[in-house]
Amino acid sequence: MLKHVNEKPIHPSRVIVLGSQGFVGSHVIRELVTIGINVLGLSRNQVNLLDSEATSNLLKYLRPEDALVVVSALAPCKNNSMLVDNLKMVQALGAALEKTTLSQVVYISSDAVYADEVVLATESSNVQPSTLHGMMHSARELMLKTVVGKTPFAILRPSLLYGLSDPHNGYGPNRFRRLVEENKTITLFGEGEEKRDHIFVEDVAKIVSLVLQHRSQGILNIATGGSYSFREVAEMLVSQSGNSIQVQGTLRQNPITHRHFDITNCYKAFPHFHYTSLKEGIFQMMCNRIMETA
Amino acid sequence: MFIGFAGMTHLGINSLVATAERGFKVIGFDQDPHIIVQLKQQDPVVVEPQLPELIEKNSEKISFTSQIKDLFQCDIVYISPDVPTNDNGQSDLSGIQSLIREVVQSLNSKAILVILCQVPPGFTRQLSFPKDQLYYQVETLIFGRAVERALYPERFIIGCADPKQALPTPLRTLLETFKCPILSMRYESAELAKISINFCLVASISVANTLSEVCEKIGADWSEIVPALRLDKRIGQFSYLSPGLGIAGGNLERDLTTVLELSQHYGTDTGVVSAWIKNSQYRRDWVLRLLHKELLAKKSDPIIAVLGLAYKENTHSTKNSPSLALVGSLTSYRVKVYDPVVSPTIIPNVEGVLSAEEAVKGVDALVIMTPWAEFKNLALSTLESMRGRLIIDPYQVLDTSLLENLGFQYLTLGTSVLC
Repeated sequence: MLKHVNEKPIHPSRVIVLGSQGFVGSHVIRELVTIGINVLGLSRNQVNLLDSEATSNLLKYLRPEDALVVVSALAPCKNNSMLVDNLKMVQALGAALEKTTLSQVVYISSDAVYADEVVLATESSNVQPSTLHGMMHSARELMLKTVVGKTPFAILRPSLLYGLSDPHNGYGPNRFRRLVEENKTITLFGEGEEKRDHIFVEDVAKIVSLVLQHRSQGILNIATGGSYSFREVAEMLVSQSGNSIQVQGTLRQNPITHRHFDITNCYKAFPHFHYTSLKEGIFQMMCNRIMETA
Repeated sequence: MFIGFAGMTHLGINSLVATAERGFKVIGFDQDPHIIVQLKQQDPVVVEPQLPELIEKNSEKISFTSQIKDLFQCDIVYISPDVPTNDNGQSDLSGIQSLIREVVQSLNSKAILVILCQVPPGFTRQLSFPKDQLYYQVETLIFGRAVERALYPERFIIGCADPKQALPTPLRTLLETFKCPILSMRYESAELAKISINFCLVASISVANTLSEVCEKIGADWSEIVPALRLDKRIGQFSYLSPGLGIAGGNLERDLTTVLELSQHYGTDTGVVSAWIKNSQYRRDWVLRLLHKELLAKKSDPIIAVLGLAYKENTHSTKNSPSLALVGSLTSYRVKVYDPVVSPTIIPNVEGVLSAEEAVKGVDALVIMTPWAEFKNLALSTLESMRGRLIIDPYQVLDTSLLENLGFQYLTLGTSVLC
């Protein structure tokens, strides 16, 4: 659950987004700029957290009144060396945080930190990652928590993200949208029965913005509260495209798992914020694509 | 024979009145002179059906005092204040410990001391008072039915130093007038018996809440299932099977916390207790989730009426009230609040009104958070004075047959088929 330092929203004097060129980081910057918040984006071109001089390089940018949003990661984390590199990045960041005091630190984590058997996830669900990606985020959360001291520290754990500029082309709305665009068959794992909560990347940016304005601290999941099967997602995309694209199942290799979210804590933290539904988000993504190609 | 009750909060006053009604002379003592002044004016401070009437009826047998020395004439003195708990359900025993210290100084040498209030296992035995005059008695009062429960207990559970010894005559004489079984056991067993009863209740409540949510999703109706359960002898006709908005009132929460603390100390498995608490917290926010989904995400500047602030009907208690939690989560919206007993001034920045009709007029959504009887009589014309058509009535207070075909969206616990 989040607690707000600022009961009423106040623009932070400056926000630094670490990982500014990534999918989430770029959307966060766009959202903050849109509402008039002073932002400095840092990508690996300015500060490479794997560099031996990373800590001192980063310290050149940090000012005590800054709020820091940490999105930078080698993701998805697929192997041991990526895990170690991701931890080294936060080690360098942590060393910088120990040498300065900021107004707030916000870490973008993932719902992969939760145990696989968590079906209805809340912020107090059991953290027991079963993947390197989840372990990476879980460890980074703890590493940062250890060094932030009394600085307000927020951990945001988004579910599966979708949006036009997603670079990973992961199984779900992002890949399905590209297949629809190319008029190609959508192939599902099994019959696509698994239900997941898909979150529109622009909503992540809006939540980050609210967390910054309220100087919130604590943990918040970022999820809509509605879960859909991958087949439903595929059929939604096909339906909105107007094309007759086949959605095809395959022989199931893995057991079916579902994940839902109880988003009551979001209602309590931000009573006036409401998520984009999957149907609206897909529509918006496809409209954005049309405008992009026009 | 004089029976004294030290502590005139909910537990003490209801127990005192029931004892007087059984024909005994009773003395009610409280350290707070304001409470005694109110009681002398026959204003019982707490809300319970029959309570004012029975105080008046038995006025010749009842006296109230703030002078502790007046307890000297008593043959039996009950330690009877309600033990306060914090938000985590942890008891603050300092008040009762201090009260016991003072009371024992004022007793005559033959007086029997009975601990009636909610204490954790191990509490009674560690008191320094002659063990053959010291007893613990389990209370099983229910808010809203306290007088009835005190007058007609199913049984007495009495904790003793040595259950093989007969109860002293004054105590046995008093208890036998209630004409119910008397179960004597070790102090620790009696203290845990109280918790055991509440655990069975919590288990039933958790079953009802868990499965009623499933009903809401799959098109079943929990109210159709309940009669089948009540006819099962292993479950029983008086089981707590009505779905609700989590556990409230303070007493059940206290016992859950006590057992979690015992588990920490002794290393016992209490995974199920944590699950009950989690389920209770989840269910408490049922209305908030629905309001966001059905109204707040769809309409700008909505107005909401909340009827009921008490945690249940026929009580003034708001301890862990789901209604207060709901209103507290809606502070940035316009909310009109009415409760027949609880003043809305206990919540900052809400619009308290003087009647249900006034609350309902012009709102987009009506939420009935406490099933007070007077809400059952809301006229159709009152409901039609709403601006919107969303009614969230968790306990199904309203007669749904009146609402059919009038365009209301009606949501209640345990079913989706009435919508």
